[in-house]
Amino acid sequence: MRRVAVIGVGVTKFGRHERTSAELFAEAAADALADAEMPASRVQALYYGNVVGGETEKQLHTGPQAASVLGIPTVPTTRFETACASSHAAFRHAVMEVASGASDVVLVGGAERVLNVPTTDSTEYFAYASDASWEQTLGLTFPGVFALVARAHMHKHGTTEEQMAAVAVKNHRHGVLNPKAQFRKEITLETVLSSPKVADPLKLYDCCPFSDGGAALVLASEDVARTARRPIWVLASAAASDWMLLGDKRDLSRVPATERAAAAAYRQAGIGPQDVDVVELHDCFTIAEIVATEGLGLFEPGAGGIAAEKGWTSLGGKIPVNPSGGLKAKGHPIGATGAAQICEVVTQLRGEAGARQVEGARRGLTHTLGGNTATVLVSLFGRD
Amino acid sequence: MTESTVTLGRFFAAAREGRLTAIRCGGCGALAVPPKELCPECGARRWEPVPLSGEGTIASFTVIRVAPRGHADEAPYAIAAVRLREGVSLLGRVVDVPLDSLAIGMPVRFRPIVVKDRPAIGFGPRQP
Repeated sequence: MRRVAVIGVGVTKFGRHERTSAELFAEAAADALADAEMPASRVQALYYGNVVGGETEKQLHTGPQAASVLGIPTVPTTRFETACASSHAAFRHAVMEVASGASDVVLVGGAERVLNVPTTDSTEYFAYASDASWEQTLGLTFPGVFALVARAHMHKHGTTEEQMAAVAVKNHRHGVLNPKAQFRKEITLETVLSSPKVADPLKLYDCCPFSDGGAALVLASEDVARTARRPIWVLASAAASDWMLLGDKRDLSRVPATERAAAAAYRQAGIGPQDVDVVELHDCFTIAEIVATEGLGLFEPGAGGIAAEKGWTSLGGKIPVNPSGGLKAKGHPIGATGAAQICEVVTQLRGEAGARQVEGARRGLTHTLGGNTATVLVSLFGRD
Repeated sequence: MTESTVTLGRFFAAAREGRLTAIRCGGCGALAVPPKELCPECGARRWEPVPLSGEGTIASFTVIRVAPRGHADEAPYAIAAVRLREGVSLLGRVVDVPLDSLAIGMPVRFRPIVVKDRPAIGFGPRQP
């Protein structure tokens, strides 16, 4: 297999947009091609993530639509749907296309538009990623899924609501430093703890927002990447799945798919969690960040809450997590999130992250979770 | 092709009448929640239906306060993951238990419920 590099990245501002998801993707993709100094005519395929376009935009076949709006209508295009991990799944498959030798230059990205519908509608559409017969019938929501995880984690490890709130405070602090973030406002523990309950014990400020946005990146084979100004190498890209039904998961305080995907990624790259300098992970809810830091091996099981409370995951801490502000503050346009996390880690490894730069970062990790914890992708990146 | 011994349709038809049914693997004896075609433990394709007691304890729970559009008029409502005596777990609505008295380890018993005209899993209180 050939080495693969990311040679260009582009992300829209996250938040509310009066444009279609295809337009949002196209802006990000044109920025990524310009960043790579790569003409669109050299793109040989598009791997695309979009989740609820069928509901919020009454739009299926979003892959070729996105390619057409970008202006590359004839390249082979496939849309991936693995709930909130969609564009990270697209990325993994695109890496395999380039590594195999089938293509030299491939575009990856995703976009989502949800703020054009009421919150009760988007809550319902997101719930379609849980089981229709067993879970949607009960009125289970995604905050509800992670509330079940939170209760189990609190019961098993003594994790507190204050420790979860510390994740939100930290990610909002980081988001202030990111011009593309949806929220650029510091909050306090009290802001989180006194916010309205959504699904006990999770409160409004434990939850990431609904967001519109797009993200894209350009992948290249080693030969092409050597001519690029600052390639960032893909050291590994791994996926894992788990039981669809929450009831079939033996221990709700853990996300086994994270543990399996991380183990596979570390094995591919020949490195371990101690070798990672910067992490962008899936903090769709504050408890999700705590459980992910444990599943990725950054902290022992049960120590994720303590790490958040002590500031070990802050910029300047032991291992900075979500310097972009994470899903919590940067925003979570679900089809774009995986690609956007990769764009952030690439920017960090180039040393171009400005006020939120992790000094001297050489290796980075991205982690994206889909739906009811049944899909996880983990990728690792390194600079020369 | 052999039809799975317990389809989703048959499971919920029986659940509506108060009977919970799991499936047991004829190869290794593993117990599972239907429907499954192959045993995730041994790969065999021989299932037999097994009645469940419906008795279990709460493994985790939440109270949904911001509900999807289709359930907005029902909020707040409790959802729990319940570990049944036989070893399998099911998600269900908890009914007839005050929301502020829910706890991990609380004993509950299966109760058939209908939510928006669809059969669903419910759990009510049980003496330990």
